[in-house]
Amino acid sequence: MSSAAARPTILVCDDEPSLRELVRAVLGEDYVYAEAADGRAALTLARDVEPDLVVLDLMLPIVSGIDVLEQLRRDERLAEVPVIVITAWSHAEASAWTAGADRFVSKPFEPDELIAAVEELLDRGVGSTEPPKSGGAGSAGAGAGL
Amino acid sequence: MSLARRMLLASILLALLVAGAFAALMFAVSTLRDANEREAHSKDVTAATLQLEKLVVDMETGLRGFTLTGNKGALQPYTAARGELPQRLRVFVGRAFAEPDQGRRAALISQMIGQYVRGYAIPVIELVHESPAAARSAPVTLEGKRQTDEIRARFDRFLAEENELAREAASSAGSRSDQALAVGAVGVVASSVLIVLFGVLLGRAVGRPVRAVASGANRLAGGELSHRLPTEGPGEIGELTRSFNAMAEEVQRGHDELELRNAKLRESERLKSELITIVSHELRTPLASVLGFTSLLLQRDFDPQARRHYLGIVDAQARRLAALLEDFLDVQRIEDGRLELAQEAVDIALVLDEQAELYRAQSPKHRLLLELPERPLTVRGDSNRLAQVVGNLLSNAIKYSPEGGVVALAGGTGDGAVRVSVRDEGLGIASDQQSRIFTKFFRGEAGASGIGGTGLGLAVSREIVEAHGGRIGFSSKVGAGSTFWLELPFAGAPAVKSSEQGRSGTERKETQP
Repeated sequence: MSSAAARPTILVCDDEPSLRELVRAVLGEDYVYAEAADGRAALTLARDVEPDLVVLDLMLPIVSGIDVLEQLRRDERLAEVPVIVITAWSHAEASAWTAGADRFVSKPFEPDELIAAVEELLDRGVGSTEPPKSGGAGSAGAGAGL
Repeated sequence: MSLARRMLLASILLALLVAGAFAALMFAVSTLRDANEREAHSKDVTAATLQLEKLVVDMETGLRGFTLTGNKGALQPYTAARGELPQRLRVFVGRAFAEPDQGRRAALISQMIGQYVRGYAIPVIELVHESPAAARSAPVTLEGKRQTDEIRARFDRFLAEENELAREAASSAGSRSDQALAVGAVGVVASSVLIVLFGVLLGRAVGRPVRAVASGANRLAGGELSHRLPTEGPGEIGELTRSFNAMAEEVQRGHDELELRNAKLRESERLKSELITIVSHELRTPLASVLGFTSLLLQRDFDPQARRHYLGIVDAQARRLAALLEDFLDVQRIEDGRLELAQEAVDIALVLDEQAELYRAQSPKHRLLLELPERPLTVRGDSNRLAQVVGNLLSNAIKYSPEGGVVALAGGTGDGAVRVSVRDEGLGIASDQQSRIFTKFFRGEAGASGIGGTGLGLAVSREIVEAHGGRIGFSSKVGAGSTFWLELPFAGAPAVKSSEQGRSGTERKETQP
């Protein structure tokens, strides 16, 4: 598919396979997905793939979601990647914002809520004056990741 | 002996001592009074003696003058003395008879005077009338002189005796009263000292323990609940301190009980908030899948294959919710003592086989090994509950192991028990958390490291195993993995064992791969 290269890459980090699948099902075929089941895998994959967007659960094995978020923000190539924190820990919202989350979605969520958040963040990224990051690096990373 | 009785006894002894001292003083006084009386008596006796002696001298003088002169007038002193004589004699003898010896002497003197009057004076007077010359002759006058001299000598001896007696009486009275005075004085001094001493001792015996109790009560009131008084001390004091200690004990017990209850309340409060957190998370995760996929299925048209797949996920997550609910209910049942167990013969080998099969299917990424002996591992109990325990242990072993990790499940017998072990090569349990691992809602590092679970599995498992009369335990090392084991009383009938052995062994071999 010619549009495949243009599809943004989304990194989905959740230890729960059914929730990763839910995110994929909700967001559909318009994106390329990379998946990680723990925090360490999420960081490795993020550096490999340089995704256009990260959907991050906070309660991850090995390295917690908050730690993943903080390390992403310290990584110069990944600092600007939009991150949607999605968690059942509603009380973790404050620390998620502090660590640099762009959106906070609590489980359970409405499919439209997630779709709206993803589209908004990716539109902003596309519309901004940083096309190399979201466009070039993203598609290149997606190719490597898959 | 009680303090009151001691005090009573001491008071009685003191009273006796005071009474003794008083008696001694009384004795001294009465002795002195007796001595005075004796002295007065002695003076009376002496006076009576001297008066009587004067009469005798008067009589002799009158008689002498009369015999020499023949003049009747010269006889006058004799006549006067003679008139007075009977009364004086009675007084003399009467007084002298207070002392028996003196009485006898006085009687003799009285007899001699009577002899003198009747046997000499009266005949001489008659002789003067008849023959004045004969009366004047030497023998006659000498006889009168001899008799009066003898009487006067008796008087002298009598007086000397009297003086001696009076002196002796005075001296013995003096020494006796001195002794009595000394005894009395010593008694008074001793009882004064003893009364003071008694007061001091009483003050100490009562005052000191009372102060100790007061200060003890203050310390107790100040929160020093472990403070106790020494319990020695007589009677009421010992009783007082014992009562105080009993009270302190009671206060401390009550306080400790409250403290314990408080701690329990705090703990249950903490557990409750933990439960709410865990429940909200544990329920939300499957709920998120269920709601998310049903929303999607309602909103979009998927092809039948995808729809089936998503419905399968919804089904699995809904079952997970149901199982979670069941765990909570189990905890509730156990807490209410309502956990009901079937009592049937259960072959643990079959249970292990089934569970191994189940978890192999659920977690294909782990290597699950099963090792069983070739004979039934029969126990009595509830097969569903025992399967739940084995399932919990397997689920934990898988959950805390990396993908591809080995989980080894084994069954066997020994020492009249069926033993099951589940070994993993996972994270292991830190030694400071090992003692709490069976506490409900306790999850160690699992919460922080993002491993899901309610912290109920092991708590429920232990209750089930113990309700079967068994034991559950583990050994673990951080980074090297854990081995959980359980032991249940072996119920295999020896007679049936040999016949069943081969059969069940082969059966198991078929299901094992």
